[in-house]
Amino acid sequence: MERNKPLILVVEDDRQIQKFICYALESEGYPYITAGTGQEAVSRLMSEQAEIMLLDLGLPDYDGLSIIKKVRQWSDIPILVVSARDQDREKAAALDSGADDYLTKPFSTTELLARIRVALRHLQKVGTGNTQAVLQVGGLQIDLERRLVHLDGEQIHVTPMEYSLLALLFRHMGKVLTTAFIIKEIWGPAYGTDTQALRALMAGLRRKIEKDHARPRYILTEVGVGYRLTDE
Amino acid sequence: MKKSIRFRAAREKTAVRNVLFLIGIFLTASALGYLFGRIGFDETNIVLVYLLAVLATAWLTHSFVFGILSSFLATFLFSYIFAQPEFTFLVDDANNYIVTFVIMTLTALITSALTSHARQSECAAREKEAQAKAIYALTNRLTGAKDMDDIAGAAVGSISVCFSCQAACLCCDSTGLPQRSFVQQGPAASQVHRELEQDPRTYKKALEAAGADCLKGREFYDWPIRGKETLLGVIRIPAAAGAALGDAGVRLLRAMIESTALAMDRHRAAKQQMQFREETAKERYRSNLLRAISHDLRTPLAGIIGSCEMLLDMTDPCSPQYTIVTDMHKEAIWLHSLVENILSLTRLQDGSLSLCKQVEAVEEIVAGAVQRMAKRAPECVIHVDMPEKLILAPMDAKLIEQVLINLLSNAVLHANAKDPVDIIVSEDATGKTVEFTVQDRGVGIVQEDLPHIFEMFYTRGRGHADAGQGIGLGLAICKTIVQAHGGRITGENREDGPGARFTFTLPAEE
Repeated sequence: MERNKPLILVVEDDRQIQKFICYALESEGYPYITAGTGQEAVSRLMSEQAEIMLLDLGLPDYDGLSIIKKVRQWSDIPILVVSARDQDREKAAALDSGADDYLTKPFSTTELLARIRVALRHLQKVGTGNTQAVLQVGGLQIDLERRLVHLDGEQIHVTPMEYSLLALLFRHMGKVLTTAFIIKEIWGPAYGTDTQALRALMAGLRRKIEKDHARPRYILTEVGVGYRLTDE
Repeated sequence: MKKSIRFRAAREKTAVRNVLFLIGIFLTASALGYLFGRIGFDETNIVLVYLLAVLATAWLTHSFVFGILSSFLATFLFSYIFAQPEFTFLVDDANNYIVTFVIMTLTALITSALTSHARQSECAAREKEAQAKAIYALTNRLTGAKDMDDIAGAAVGSISVCFSCQAACLCCDSTGLPQRSFVQQGPAASQVHRELEQDPRTYKKALEAAGADCLKGREFYDWPIRGKETLLGVIRIPAAAGAALGDAGVRLLRAMIESTALAMDRHRAAKQQMQFREETAKERYRSNLLRAISHDLRTPLAGIIGSCEMLLDMTDPCSPQYTIVTDMHKEAIWLHSLVENILSLTRLQDGSLSLCKQVEAVEEIVAGAVQRMAKRAPECVIHVDMPEKLILAPMDAKLIEQVLINLLSNAVLHANAKDPVDIIVSEDATGKTVEFTVQDRGVGIVQEDLPHIFEMFYTRGRGHADAGQGIGLGLAICKTIVQAHGGRITGENREDGPGARFTFTLPAEE
């Protein structure tokens, strides 16, 4: 039988959007609580056992970044950021300061629920202490112990750099990773913010695992933010 | 100016007057000399009397020629009348008189030269002073002038007084084309407006043909007023007065025209600046308003879109309500994208949205745009033609993706779903620019709209652009973004059959 669905905290000041999010959650049977301001969000998070937080970046009292930083001081709760389209820089900054994923307004219920499912999967993996050595998405498979990559059953050769990039994406499957985060993880914190090497590395990896690099099947580009390894 | 200067070249009159002066002076001098001789004064005194006569002639005739003439005349007369024997050119004491003659001639020559030179300098100084006064008076009047007509009036007034004629001034419009009417000085202090007797265009051509010189017409001599950029106007001097202008007159007139040109130029520049400032303020006001409205519209629109989805979930797909809500949903999404477009356009235009350029892989941007299009319009078919080679270029990824999405939505809007939309990416041979092409098989662009498709809010022809919804914003944004990246964007109809093609370039290096 299905285990109890987690409690979701919806932080959104616009009543209509809040209503629509709540409806979507309700239709899938998720319990939820709501908050209209940053202040309220923090206090509700302290008093209730919420497991996922949906956070609008444009709140009237606090800016989203400071709320994320505040929450991250004492909680690992997955944070899903909701933002307008022209807030890309805030979005990337939010991800870098600890948010787990983002949604751009206007979003559909399908998108919202898909993101929540990704967050939940991560939650469960962390909860069960997931240490699976072989991870798979579609025909793409990675063996983290033996450092092997298979595509549609056939082993493909990747360079050590490409391998570490792919492994990083697999470890955060379904989640968007910012360019800055990937550069820091692969080249180290001293490398800086030059994106050229990452773009070239990504292009090389894609030519090995994607059939049509104009329509990638596995590694999706979130333009202006980063990359995401699809989990479907 | 009360004291008028007449520069009349009445040379004959002057010559006659000078001859009369000469005869008069020498008759008097000879008579005086004769008297002195009778009284028994020394001959030296008679020589001095003749020298005085030379001086007087040079002074009164203002002429160097008459001065020299008088000095020789003095020597001849002295030798004829007074030197012994009298009334002959024969001289008794030749040695003695030769010295007297030579010294007398030389003295007379030098005196007359000096005198006439002093006289000429005085005339020149007086002429210059009069010029300076005339120009000063004109400049004074010009500074107070409020508009072009005022300036023309002041110039006409001053020039008329200065040259005692009924001068006129014709102004040109901002493109340098003469206006149809001009202002002329009438009797007393009045000024009248008159029609130009010929077509402004042919008149302008005639003026241009005359070059730096004045254009000599039947009624007027026309002096162009040239500004820094265009012809500003024409000063018209009645033909009689124009023909009588001496060199000094022409110099003065040119100086006055120069002052007028300066005043007109200054006035025009000030006016342009004011217009420019007004326009900037208006533009800023408009974009601020647009932005405020868009910003407030955005959130409720997102809410409406969400609510529509909620309703769709609750409604039976076969019911008429479902169709209505689907339409509402579509319209709301379109409105939302319009609002986003307005926001980014106003931000780009007033510079508050700066480009955040990073080296990006072109294939990722194209893929991102295709992916978002597939989500928005799942039925459309997009063909991507990209070189296998990785192309990197510095750009603001989000904005270039926006350009591609705008071009793709446009194409999808105008093509049948089954006709594919093509994206073609190529790099030029030197690797310095990347070219993106988006083409469709739709109806194409109406020919007369072609030059306007990138203008903000261009809707007249209802041709291609965003004709479906009426506001041509998408392409205006594309142009702004591409230009901010230092690239170019063009739109055309395909030569290989129906459909439109949009191409933009980006520099591949900083």
